[in-house]
Amino acid sequence: MSSATAVEKSRAKPKRQNRRRTFSKKDRFTLGVFIGIPTFLHVALVWFPAAATIYLSFTYWTGIHIGDIQWAGFANYENIFFNTPIFWDALRVNVVWLVWFGVIATPLGILLAYQIDREIRGSKFYQAAYYLPVVLSLAVIGIIWNFLLRPDGFVNGVLGLEISEAVSFFGDDRYNIWVILTMASWRHIGYIMLLYLAGLKAVDATLREAASIDGATEWQTFRKVVFPAMAPVNIIVIVITIIESLRAFDIIYIIYGSSGGLPILGVLVFQNIAGEGASMKGAAYAVILFLLSIVPIITYLRQQFKEDMK
Amino acid sequence: MLNKVTGHEVDRRLLLKGAAAGGLGIAGATMLAGCAADASGPVTFGVRTVDESPKKQAQAIIDAYVAKTGIEVTGNFTESNAFQNNLSQYLQGTPDDAFQWMAGYRMQFFADQGLLEDLTPAWDAIGDQFSDSYKIASTGSDGNQYFLPQSWYPWGLHFRKSMMEEIGLAATDVYNWDDMLGALEELKGQGLIGLAAADKGGWEAMGTFDILNARINGYDFHVDLLAGREKWTDDRVKEVFRHWEQLLPYQNTNVLDLEWDGAMQLLLQKQAGFFMCGSWFGANFLEQSQEDYDDLMIIPFPEINPDHARDTIDAPLDGICVAKNGENGAGGVDFVQFAASMEGVQAQLDTGIPLTSANNGQDTSAFDAFQQQQLAVMDEAKYITQFLDRDTRPDFAGPVVGPAFQSWFKDPSSTNDILESLQSQWDALAPL
Repeated sequence: MSSATAVEKSRAKPKRQNRRRTFSKKDRFTLGVFIGIPTFLHVALVWFPAAATIYLSFTYWTGIHIGDIQWAGFANYENIFFNTPIFWDALRVNVVWLVWFGVIATPLGILLAYQIDREIRGSKFYQAAYYLPVVLSLAVIGIIWNFLLRPDGFVNGVLGLEISEAVSFFGDDRYNIWVILTMASWRHIGYIMLLYLAGLKAVDATLREAASIDGATEWQTFRKVVFPAMAPVNIIVIVITIIESLRAFDIIYIIYGSSGGLPILGVLVFQNIAGEGASMKGAAYAVILFLLSIVPIITYLRQQFKEDMK
Repeated sequence: MLNKVTGHEVDRRLLLKGAAAGGLGIAGATMLAGCAADASGPVTFGVRTVDESPKKQAQAIIDAYVAKTGIEVTGNFTESNAFQNNLSQYLQGTPDDAFQWMAGYRMQFFADQGLLEDLTPAWDAIGDQFSDSYKIASTGSDGNQYFLPQSWYPWGLHFRKSMMEEIGLAATDVYNWDDMLGALEELKGQGLIGLAAADKGGWEAMGTFDILNARINGYDFHVDLLAGREKWTDDRVKEVFRHWEQLLPYQNTNVLDLEWDGAMQLLLQKQAGFFMCGSWFGANFLEQSQEDYDDLMIIPFPEINPDHARDTIDAPLDGICVAKNGENGAGGVDFVQFAASMEGVQAQLDTGIPLTSANNGQDTSAFDAFQQQQLAVMDEAKYITQFLDRDTRPDFAGPVVGPAFQSWFKDPSSTNDILESLQSQWDALAPL
């Protein structure tokens, strides 16, 4: 026994030394720099601000002198949950946004990708047409649609309506959210289409062939063959859909400013953190938004990885 | 991404410190030279507008100052909303020496944080050119002055003379609430909008609230309410909303779809009879045409409670401050002192763009009829308020009151809920 362990030890030792010897001092230095600098930057620019935000959400502070920070416990969160009706309005809008993207915009993007991948006639044209909005930022899209739909805008002008009689696309609660969602989907659909199209191109054509030889219908082929083969892209699409819905900000900010005309969590963060009105209620909003986006994503990814491990 | 936005300030400050330390090592000599600048060094001037008319006015001050002193002045123009949102960061970083700003709470907040230069010496020099109420509005909580007023504008009911003549309405005779409702009814009968209103920006309707509250409950109650000494759930505040509700049938229905300039269009295009706003938009009428501008007139908001008559007016002061972190503080002080003096304001007036000077000594003989009437409206008032978002805490006005008024427009029957919520949000504000 003892000799066996001794042998093992002696065998193990040079092995370890071997591995060590492959990294010279210079190598270690280079590796240290290569890993150290990005790590430092990552920690300093991502983790530090994130941790600081979480800490600050438990404080009172105007954002100016570090010495003025006062511990507030859960006061900011209590204020948001129990005193601030606009928070619930904003949450509702974000949830509607998420459901709309998840149920309508994203599946529509997938459908378009599938159609274009089937190379229907004029598919190149459709591809370009649907992809066009994606090259525009949401802020630019907001400006374009604002120009079209505001009371003195193009659409009301074509309808011949005076400002006082204009269709209130952005002001009327009955449909302003749907107008905004249509605007946002205009871009989102093209984005998802492109992502999915790239994935579809990578699916082995023989899989489809085999399925059709086995007599599978188009829908069965997609559902049972193509969709599972696309698992990695599906994850990306789902994560993007969740993030895009919850972080929505620019399009709303362009149209409503920070006034809360259509309340949304991203704007509440900004409104409570920017300008003279800065309070750490804004940091608390940011943490809530962070948790809302990270929890479903982590849960989903964990489940996916578990399945993969099996 | 968003959590990075909020962490941004801390992070940025550290970076700035780092940059400053690095800068000292590399260019220590030049930085030290910069710190010890005297009043004759070049001055930078932060202008919070990119609009045509006010840009011309700011440029006129700069040109006049350069012509007088030979000191180089650079104007940096920033869009007004962006300027406001970035001001905290701007003042902590490397701000311009002098910058345009507003009086009242909005100035005091930054003065309390030690980000503004004490302008008491400038007030000692030219302070007698301003009225006492302006001095109060320019004073920080420590009793020193941090602000120099340049111009003001009254909030009142604006109308077009030609339009009222056509209808046969003697708008200048509208004195009290009944007169006003009568006039609005008349306009409605003509198929017109009585009162153009906007609140998409979240602040426009604050002017109407201010004046209704001051007319019904008086100046003292209004000030006390905004300072938190009175409650929003008070019956007197409910009374304000009951009166406001009487105006709704005469307003355009798309209040939440219009910003102030949208409502102004309603007046410009003669679709609306009255427009409750600050007189600054006269410059926009003038950009349109001289004829439109000459047609413009203002009357004070009508009396509601005879005890208070028409004794209060929202007349926000615009002016300039000097940033403590600016490179050339002494130069900045000298520049703002010039800009607020009769000479500086005259340079702005000489552009031909309408402006009402905050300076008592200003020659008003060249003022046109609209400006003379603004002075008359102002003279009738005993008390001057700045505007809701300058008279109360900034973390209350924008994020809380703005959305509350918007939701009231959506559902005016929810007054009580909204007022209760306003009070509970006031109570939950961070301690100062």
